[in-house]
Amino acid sequence: MICHKVRRKLAEYAVGGLRGRTRARIEEHVRDCAACRAELAALERTGGLLDSLSLEEAPAETWAAVQREMRGTERVPVARRVRWAWGTAAGAVALAALVVGAFVLGPMGPAEPQLVVATEVDEEMQATIEGHLSAVWAAPLSDEAAVGLRLAVLEDDG
Amino acid sequence: MDEERNEVEELAARARSGEAEAFEALYRSHQAGIYTFILSQVRERELAADLTQETFVRAWQSLPRLRKAGAFRGWLHRIAANLVRDEVKSGRARLEVAASVLATNGETLAPEPRADAAEGPEAMLASQEMKGAVWDALAELPAQQRAAVVMHHVEGMSMTEIAEATGVRPGTVMSRLARAREALRKRLSRYVEGTDDLS
Ligand SMILES: [Zn+2]
Repeated sequence: MICHKVRRKLAEYAVGGLRGRTRARIEEHVRDCAACRAELAALERTGGLLDSLSLEEAPAETWAAVQREMRGTERVPVARRVRWAWGTAAGAVALAALVVGAFVLGPMGPAEPQLVVATEVDEEMQATIEGHLSAVWAAPLSDEAAVGLRLAVLEDDG
Repeated sequence: MDEERNEVEELAARARSGEAEAFEALYRSHQAGIYTFILSQVRERELAADLTQETFVRAWQSLPRLRKAGAFRGWLHRIAANLVRDEVKSGRARLEVAASVLATNGETLAPEPRADAAEGPEAMLASQEMKGAVWDALAELPAQQRAAVVMHHVEGMSMTEIAEATGVRPGTVMSRLARAREALRKRLSRYVEGTDDLS
């Protein structure tokens, strides 16, 4: 392996992201090449600096504020099931609503979005939700999930 | 580590079934991580505190829906990240860190690494300054890279856990960490280059 190829992979090596042959080749090269060895050392020291950063405590009064809100909060028991009464379309809305439990609505929604029903979810549903969560993460509020939540909230209100 | 995770899992399960005391214990063990994570993403302490509060309130409300109690930390980060993102969308926060905010506060609470503490006030000050520079450099990273770095290096989350929290594959987390490392290595060159005496 030559230096410039090694350099392209060095950061991945430094974060522990390489396995097998590539990893072995880099180790071999670095043993013999002082320049790449120095570069790797710099990357590793950078990691050391990052490790030295410390956590910061939230302000002490935060817990009291959380507690106050917990008291005024209604939780829906786990056992309650969603009824898929309106077939696929309603199902999609309810699924989307589930998915975005942790969402705040954008400007289009009501001021205080409701957290939507808790349910028992089967494995398949869970997988769908998790897949969907990835999509939501990548494209926040731009997909059906946002629309679904909005519809669900309106549904709830009406 | 595993023991810690089991304890969190047990607490999360109890909190899920409505035990407020268990939830308080979860708050105590996770607040600093969540607050630091949020503070690294938004600019102001006050906003970070508000969003931390909101994260835990939502967690309490949504806990009945958390299936895998063992995934609590990642799930909590997902809630926090969604709140941060909405805040940014609303224009109230920017995805930049006020580095000075993170650099000057709280650092002294944690044990200093290596021999700093033994070397007296000057070394301590130098270390503070260096951490300030690191937070400064972090502030210039793209938000997703910064989030990965904070979760991994500051909070000690594994790549798999970060992947779960952010809804991407572990390989993506790895490459975010690698790109971040390259960028930070350049920005922090004066601290990390050719300092054989430090290693
Ligand atoms: Zn080389």
